[in-house]
Amino acid sequence: MTCEILERTRAGIINPIFTCQPCGAQYASIGIDRCIGIVHGGQGCVMFVRLLFSQHFKESFELASTSLHEDGAVFGALNRVEEAVDVLLMRYPDVKVVPIISTCATEVIGDDIDGVVRKLNEGLLREKFAGREVHLIPIHTPSFVGSMISGYDIAVRDFVSYFARKGQPTNKINLITGWVNPGDVSALKHLLKAMEIDANLLFEIENFDAPLMPSGNTVAHGDTTIEDLRETANAVGTIALNRYEGGKAAEYLQKEFGVPAVIGPAPIGIRNTDTLLKHLSDMTGKPIPESLVRERGIALDALTDIVHMFLADKRVAIYANPDLAIGLAEFCMDLEMQPVLLLLGDDNSNYAKDPRVKALREHAYFDMEIVTNADLWELEDRIKNKGLKLDLILGHSKGRFVSIDYGIPMVRVGFPVYDRAGMYRHPVLGYQGATYLAETMANTIFTDMEYKKNKEWVLNVW
Amino acid sequence: MPYHLFKCSQCIPEREKHAVIKGVGEDISMALPLGYLNTIPGTISERGCAYCGAKHVIGTPMKDVIHLSHGPVGCTYDTWQTKRYISDNNNFQLKYTFASDMKEKHIVFGAEQLLKKNILDAFAAFPDIKRMTIYQTCASALIGDDINALADEIMEENPDVDIFVCNSPGFGGPSQSGGHHKINIAWINQKVGTVNPSIDADYVINYVGEYNIQGDQEVMMDYFKRMGIYVLATFTGNGSYDDLRAMHKAHLNVLECARSAEYICNELRVRYGIPRMDIDGFGFEPLSASLRKVGLFFGIEERALTIIEEENARWQPELDWYKARLMHKKVCLWPGGSKLWHWANAIHEEMGVDVVSVYTKFGHQGDMEKGISRCEEGALAVDDPNELEGLEAMETLQPDIIFTGKRPGEVAKKIRVPYLNAHAYHNGPWKGFEGWVRFARDMYNGIYSPIHQLSLLDISQDEIPTDKGFVTNRMLSDADLSDEVRNDPNLRPYTGNYDCVSPLRNKVYPEFPRKEKEVSVA
Repeated sequence: MTCEILERTRAGIINPIFTCQPCGAQYASIGIDRCIGIVHGGQGCVMFVRLLFSQHFKESFELASTSLHEDGAVFGALNRVEEAVDVLLMRYPDVKVVPIISTCATEVIGDDIDGVVRKLNEGLLREKFAGREVHLIPIHTPSFVGSMISGYDIAVRDFVSYFARKGQPTNKINLITGWVNPGDVSALKHLLKAMEIDANLLFEIENFDAPLMPSGNTVAHGDTTIEDLRETANAVGTIALNRYEGGKAAEYLQKEFGVPAVIGPAPIGIRNTDTLLKHLSDMTGKPIPESLVRERGIALDALTDIVHMFLADKRVAIYANPDLAIGLAEFCMDLEMQPVLLLLGDDNSNYAKDPRVKALREHAYFDMEIVTNADLWELEDRIKNKGLKLDLILGHSKGRFVSIDYGIPMVRVGFPVYDRAGMYRHPVLGYQGATYLAETMANTIFTDMEYKKNKEWVLNVW
Repeated sequence: MPYHLFKCSQCIPEREKHAVIKGVGEDISMALPLGYLNTIPGTISERGCAYCGAKHVIGTPMKDVIHLSHGPVGCTYDTWQTKRYISDNNNFQLKYTFASDMKEKHIVFGAEQLLKKNILDAFAAFPDIKRMTIYQTCASALIGDDINALADEIMEENPDVDIFVCNSPGFGGPSQSGGHHKINIAWINQKVGTVNPSIDADYVINYVGEYNIQGDQEVMMDYFKRMGIYVLATFTGNGSYDDLRAMHKAHLNVLECARSAEYICNELRVRYGIPRMDIDGFGFEPLSASLRKVGLFFGIEERALTIIEEENARWQPELDWYKARLMHKKVCLWPGGSKLWHWANAIHEEMGVDVVSVYTKFGHQGDMEKGISRCEEGALAVDDPNELEGLEAMETLQPDIIFTGKRPGEVAKKIRVPYLNAHAYHNGPWKGFEGWVRFARDMYNGIYSPIHQLSLLDISQDEIPTDKGFVTNRMLSDADLSDEVRNDPNLRPYTGNYDCVSPLRNKVYPEFPRKEKEVSVA
């Protein structure tokens, strides 16, 4: 019984798990109130990312492009950044925060977005928009480095480092969620409320699940304010749930302002949620209330109903954002399941050194493979050509055809999920998330048993 | 026909010439919006890039091809699984996408060797697929990798494979339209004429500018087959790479989406003398005229007439059922490039709706010319619309429904305007006689959705009706109809199946007697 850690050796990607850095920066920017990002590059870098967000959330988000055309690619396109900022500010009078997000094209041609921001600050903003609060924030996210994961991490750090200012200490904590869904934010707020803890949420995206109102509000948006970001420097401490999505910002705040940082683990599963509560309690001195003991008990009761009868020994493949993938693997271990394949989809060399990955390797009592810099062919090839047997796949919608074509039940989790309704509403974090995940896995397996007539009668007397 | 400057665009007056209102008695000679010009940065335009125009719109519907993008992973990922171009080979082109995964070191030192290994590894992973299209991206264009030379080298070393190279980086033009043009020209330059199959058929066409969205191509193929016409190649929906290399062997190019594919038709005419015939698969009358036209060209018009008669008898009562219920509903017809003129008049004539606005994201002036000619007086026509203009237009025009893309559809939803997906369709196919009824059905279901009605109620202020536990779309649509129409025994709503395409794949067609003394075109 071994757990190998491998790296994709094939050149190129067949069916990617992640997209590129600018998408991550765009996802971070839509979490901020009165913020519209401008992506400096070709129009597709924005148009398709907006489509991706709308596929996942069934909502539209505002993001702008400098619309790089041929002339700009040849002669430089900083003039288009200037024009984009001007046009955007004129037409969106409420906008205050404008990240300038670079792409592969504009990094290759060497457009100096830091320089143009200085120029705009000294020129356009003073002359034309005097008296208006506007923050232009250059964010370098060349597409040929990292992935959407690192793009998100960089953007969160850049927003925090731009705004954070030392002032009066607050009694708040910073809670950096990482790349999560509105349902997760609701679950986290529920835990914080139960603990009576005030938190700056980076980012407050509960309203990504936006209502259809009689007044006709037009766009879903994030609610983290400039003030929230500014006050991150004065918090009691920072908890970044995800090492690879927000960890950089937590480290920055610790180094720059001495705000103690706790990075990870994401509260996926009972054990990791216990750990989060311990961290919250240690950081604030607040006790863990009876209500959460009860909530944990409800979750444990639900898990007990399904774990050894149905989930035990089930073989699972997992691909997702790295912190989510690792957290899911850990939870599967607690559920007596066997996460036999874990795909971590970019070239970050830290994954192999991650203590959670090391622990999985050390304690896997079954044959397990962890593949870094992976793509979805690493999954399909093993099933199709190498005899990998699976009972369940956990991952996002881009891998849906692996499930469909090989008849393996799949629970949609992570980003993007567009082939199941309303998944962004359901948390995978906290005790509620643990219950949801385990029950959804069980129900998915049940449906598969019935569809395949595979001991479907077992469920008669459960 | 005065230009129209949106309030939200007063600060960018150059936008004024991109929108016009079609005045009473006016025609397009009096004003035409500007089109296909560079986008104004920061407007939140809805345009995509030339890479997606080439790869995503035209390249990828080709079904038996490894579609490899040479660049960082994002271009590939972002354009993957966002459209509904199906195929009869188990959707290989939908399921698999390939990226060379260019990283920083490749930007610095070049990525040709990376690409070479990529190509070989991709073919190794799919040993049954011997055809590949490589798409340039912004990054690979800027570092200057010579993809064509590399493809030639690999084809020389591996004679069983064939590779097509499409150099259309994202920045290559104001919109996706630049990519349509580039891939059209690249295909005819590189691939047409490189195979010469022997074709034993009397009437041979290429079906061009058709992307098999939800099965459109297969529906149209059914008509062509019923007419005894051999479709040599489809550019590109459900199309086969090697068939498309033989496009020069057809007698006629039948062109559907002129915006994206007229270029290759024009080149086939110039280089091979193959005539171009523009047709239209949307709408009973345009489709009937198209089938007759194609029949006339080959002297087999009676075969077209037979089909038209059968299809009309089967589907007209269902179309008319919807028409009676859609009369004078206001429509914003906001597609990408060509559907504004494919649909504008046809939906007015055959479904009774009024087109109050047309827009095009990447169309040229020619598309506007046709679209404005065919829409209603007073309609607002917009080139390269942006977020705020779309909202302002919807607030002013108060449409009953809009046809647009998925993401703008979400904007409409929030101001309580139902939307249909103009690119991917709701429950298509929408081409063909049955498809057109499906379109009417989708429109009806959107407009008369009881849930949509509920979204118009403000429970904090409005009188809440308490007398109903439910409302049906029929209760809403038929409330104001005359008894005569409501109970017309000749009309009925759609009676087809959820999937009307798959059964076509196993259909057996009658053989027609061969033309006398006709020498095969081979």
